[in-house]
Amino acid sequence: MDSILELQDIHKSYGGTEVLKGVSLSVNKGEVLVLIGPSGTGKSTLLRCINLLTRPDRGTVLLSGTDLTDPKTDLNRMRQRVGMVFQEFNLFNHLNVLNNITLGLTKVKKMAVAEAKQVARLELEKVGLADKADSFPGELSGGQKQRAAIARALAMQPDVILFDEPTSALDPQLIGEVLEVMKELAREGMTMVVVSHEMDFTREVADRVVFLEAGQVIEEGSPAQIFYHARSERTKNFLGKIIGLPA
Amino acid sequence: MAEEVAFIGKIIPELLKGLAVTCRLSGGALLLGLGLGLVTAVLRVYGTGLLKAVAVIYSEVIRGTPLLVQLFILYYGLPDVGINLDRLTAGYLALGINSGAYQAEYFRAAIQSVQAGQMSAARALGLSKLQAVIYVILPQALRLVLPTWANEVIYMVKYASVVYTIAVPELLARGQMLNSKYFKPAAIFFTVSVIYIIVITLITKLTDGLEKRLAIPGLAVESGRD
Repeated sequence: MDSILELQDIHKSYGGTEVLKGVSLSVNKGEVLVLIGPSGTGKSTLLRCINLLTRPDRGTVLLSGTDLTDPKTDLNRMRQRVGMVFQEFNLFNHLNVLNNITLGLTKVKKMAVAEAKQVARLELEKVGLADKADSFPGELSGGQKQRAAIARALAMQPDVILFDEPTSALDPQLIGEVLEVMKELAREGMTMVVVSHEMDFTREVADRVVFLEAGQVIEEGSPAQIFYHARSERTKNFLGKIIGLPA
Repeated sequence: MAEEVAFIGKIIPELLKGLAVTCRLSGGALLLGLGLGLVTAVLRVYGTGLLKAVAVIYSEVIRGTPLLVQLFILYYGLPDVGINLDRLTAGYLALGINSGAYQAEYFRAAIQSVQAGQMSAARALGLSKLQAVIYVILPQALRLVLPTWANEVIYMVKYASVVYTIAVPELLARGQMLNSKYFKPAAIFFTVSVIYIIVITLITKLTDGLEKRLAIPGLAVESGRD
């Protein structure tokens, strides 16, 4: 199995508080890894450490063998290979949907504008937003914004996409359309690291579930293992609170 | 009454010549201030080390001293160290450098109002910090700063009159000259005021129009809604 992403002993503190206390993880190509755990325990911080939006205090991040934590690494170039979808969408408000996608293509991948627009339209079709290319983020619903954000990440053809609670800011009736897109991506073999509270989605799509609490990996395994045969009391406690143990 | 009106009619051409100088001075100074202000603001928000220190020093020193003092240093003080500026150049520089320091603060506030997530998303795509600032942050910040910046334009048109102290023949100076010739301060300065009001009202209309044209669809905060 190809290990595409490896986190080794990641530590991060904010002020005097240690948020990540030595987390190690590895993700294989084509795998869907879902991080679950109580709020504020460092899941988002961990995700942001992967593409170095947050720089770990200690530890190494390896992307297909390249050390992203090495100060000599060209991060801008490496970040093209790691896509990210945010809880708050973070679409560029001053650009219409099409240009949101072409910006990265033209400025980072140095694509010609015409080609970039073609690629962008293809991705928009994939996520079901072909007719919204000329709309602005402010004119879209939450679900549409997030699908546009996914298209934006996909267009860069990354090796792995990080999802930071992609549906947490959405109205319940809009969550489904985003999860559908994510399921399709998983079916197509995209490597995904997802922080989410959507347990049904996790059960259905995850290859591996990692339970993170208080800045440490408590337990990891397949969805079946974690949901039905958790070894740790803390894992069982958390799952019990979230959904009542699944039937 | 008719005599007053006739007098006003007589002095208007002279005053308009002064207005032309005021406009050129304000326009040039605003542009200089825009350049200095934008660079300073970006350096203050995103810069590190020496560059950031320079930006902070520029900002604090210029805002910490009166415009008139800065003007006098440029026009009367520099010759002492061998640099002789003509009045108009001294005027442009003093007004521009001064405005730049204040514009820097407006831009800095606007840049900092752009949500942090915008920068995160830009960097996550692989854009460099500079690219993110130019293509993502500034386009949004400049829309946010427009109402405040319109204020700066209005201030500039009025503050340009400080150059009358170094005998630049702008609008107010011409008014003074006419007054020492005809001794009719009421009519003269009333007319000067009206000219200012007309110009500034035009500017306000222009900046309002610019705001509307640049508004981002879906995000414009319109009055009278909800």
